[in-house]
Amino acid sequence: MNERLRLLFAEAVDIKLEVLHNSELTIEIAYIAPLCEENKINDFIIVPFTKDFYPFESQLSTNPDYRKVDDVAKWQELMLRGNVLIEAAGIIYSFDASRIISIENPQTQVESAIQGPQLALSEDVNISLNLIRSMYPSPDLSVEEHTIGSLSKTPVFALFDQRRVDPTVLDSVRTKLTTINVEMLHAAGELEKLLVGKRKHLFPTILITERPDRISKAIAKGKIVILLKGNMFAIILPATFFDFMHAVEDDYDAYWMTRFLIFLRYTSIVLTITLPALYISVVSYNPELFRVQLAFSIAGSRSAVPYPSFIEVFIMLFMIETLIEASIRLPRYIGSTATTVGGLILGQAAQQAGLVSSIMIIVTSVVAISNFVIPVNSLSFAVRFLKYPLIGIAIFFGITGVSVGMFVYIVYLCNLRSFGKPYMRIFGKLRPLEGDIGQVKIK
Amino acid sequence: MNLSIRVTLTMLAVCLLGGCGFKDIDKRFFVVALGIDHSENEKKPYRLTLQLAVPSPKIEPGASKTQIETIDSESIAEGVRMLKAYVDKELDFGHCKVFLIGEQLARTDYQDVLQWMSRRRDIQSVADIAIGKPDAESLLQVKPISERYPGNTLFLSFGADGTESSYTYVESLSDFSRRSSEKGLDPLMPIITKDSKESFIINRTALLNKKRVKLVLSSSESQLYNQLAKDFTKSSMHGMFEGMDLVVAITSIHSNFRLSKQNDEDIVTMNVKMKVIFEEAPKGLYNDQWGPVEQQLNKEYSKSCVALLKKIQKANVDPIGFGLRYRATHPGNSAWKEWKSIYPNVKFKVNANIRIEGTGLIK
Repeated sequence: MNERLRLLFAEAVDIKLEVLHNSELTIEIAYIAPLCEENKINDFIIVPFTKDFYPFESQLSTNPDYRKVDDVAKWQELMLRGNVLIEAAGIIYSFDASRIISIENPQTQVESAIQGPQLALSEDVNISLNLIRSMYPSPDLSVEEHTIGSLSKTPVFALFDQRRVDPTVLDSVRTKLTTINVEMLHAAGELEKLLVGKRKHLFPTILITERPDRISKAIAKGKIVILLKGNMFAIILPATFFDFMHAVEDDYDAYWMTRFLIFLRYTSIVLTITLPALYISVVSYNPELFRVQLAFSIAGSRSAVPYPSFIEVFIMLFMIETLIEASIRLPRYIGSTATTVGGLILGQAAQQAGLVSSIMIIVTSVVAISNFVIPVNSLSFAVRFLKYPLIGIAIFFGITGVSVGMFVYIVYLCNLRSFGKPYMRIFGKLRPLEGDIGQVKIK
Repeated sequence: MNLSIRVTLTMLAVCLLGGCGFKDIDKRFFVVALGIDHSENEKKPYRLTLQLAVPSPKIEPGASKTQIETIDSESIAEGVRMLKAYVDKELDFGHCKVFLIGEQLARTDYQDVLQWMSRRRDIQSVADIAIGKPDAESLLQVKPISERYPGNTLFLSFGADGTESSYTYVESLSDFSRRSSEKGLDPLMPIITKDSKESFIINRTALLNKKRVKLVLSSSESQLYNQLAKDFTKSSMHGMFEGMDLVVAITSIHSNFRLSKQNDEDIVTMNVKMKVIFEEAPKGLYNDQWGPVEQQLNKEYSKSCVALLKKIQKANVDPIGFGLRYRATHPGNSAWKEWKSIYPNVKFKVNANIRIEGTGLIK
């Protein structure tokens, strides 16, 4: 076996090919050292073999951890996944000794909730599966494995409740997962793009999350969850627009407060999309819309500004977008400096220098802050872009243009489908018939 | 279609449509009040006075700055257009909330002015309209000391934000234009005068027919009219009881009227329901029976109401809308003609129902 393996792999010092002897038997073992746990190899192979209390050959055939490998073509893949290949008496066995380096039990960071599970999914799929299985202890939970990526060979797990899942969605997900043709796959976002298929989409139609409680709730609703090896984010599909506007805490906290929060969220999404465009259209087309006081104070503070309103808007939005982008990309220690420099100095100075009016600074900060209110990051990113087309329309058509633009957005949202399910559906459950055993064919 | 062609076509379309209304807020001159007077000049009968706001970022009492522009012209529209040549920014009537019509003009013919106001698109229908006495121009020159921003004093006098005086009748442009064309409902306007140099007095109301002023109500009559026609609560009422002066504040008032025929006589019956609290009263009233006081007040109130209604009837105007009610309840094309013959002889009856809620004091 070792001779053949030497031919199959490129020359690498970390590939270990050994021959072991004891009184009865000679075995060959082969593994890639950095991918394997040395302790495991010692405990399960080398020590039992050399001590020879119990015949190693019968151990190989009885213990299910040693799996028989019939196909030579699988050797490479198994070794690359951290398995040890053992040849004993002409039969090849594989033993999983893989070592996975990951963050141990990470805390939720992207979608934090004050009162709710604080544990996020792990980069180790087994830990993630453990979390989900313990939160959804149902015999109906089905786990399917797929492999995506001709080079990366990333294991992908599809989880669903076999009684509750929508069979049509499941079918289309299965066909999508089997037909995806890429070389490398590392991030959930990448898989999302491949699953959606459209190259240019404006809104996320698949929910990416790190919260196990959100996942178990989604499974109970009949949705499908996809886990990626080496990724602490899971994909939930199909998703509606309202899932993206839903924070897990909406289900945990007091009724009226959470209703108010939901109202706040929808208000702020409208504000963050329309406010810059409305500023332009009201200031430059319909100043009678303001109250008189406001009109005069805006006119007064704008009188120092040499450029038309839309240039002013572009200046401020450029500044705030670069600021947000910089504070995300920068290391955490420098991040606070960026916000201080940007927020305090630029905002105040830009107004005093007569580059922008004081109202515009308020508009900009409202736009930025209300954008952060959206609970799911992917939607908040999508929404960040939406204001720009509206600004373009507002420059030429004023308030009428803004309202037509909003209408276009709503039409587009209604036209969207997430795995065959309407994206903008408010009413109706996503759950098909309940209690009908064996609705889904297991592969 | 090729993508680049599509993009160019959209850009072209956008270029064709855009541009006409784009004017930044700081490049506009907001007209906060417009006065229209009769000039002595025969050829140029209108004198326009525009109060233009000079915006400033500082807003403090007395900091309001205005610029007054006056022009005589043949017509209002031409005058405004001509005035554009006098100023450096685009004139905008979007915030013009007060229109003053000079008394002399209101006494001759207001229809042309109204036509212009209702046709121009940037004049808001919620704007208030009033008569300036002796003329609009001199009123617009007044600079109240407390004014924080241009035109504010007049805005506040009319709107519900600032003072709500029971003597001020507030007339909006849309209501005025409706009344000036509706059969059976006649327009009316408040009259603004100035006292010394720094403040306005708005406590009289002019009743107009479809063309000019017919009758000017005194301030107490204006208040009574506001109570009757608009159920205006923040007002007071004066009465006598056994030789003592009484003043009551009205906390709620509801009035309605009915047209009926009794013994071949047309009668307008008005029912006024009021709840009042004493503001000025003799000392022992708390322990007295209020019944006779209420009776006395009722009597006095109906008397003054009937007097007011008769005065209005005599001037042959109908601001409360009796005629409109008659037309609504009497079908047929001839209803309006019938009413015109009925109205000069109609009898008024006012049933006041005053309930005293308290003396305003706790014993």
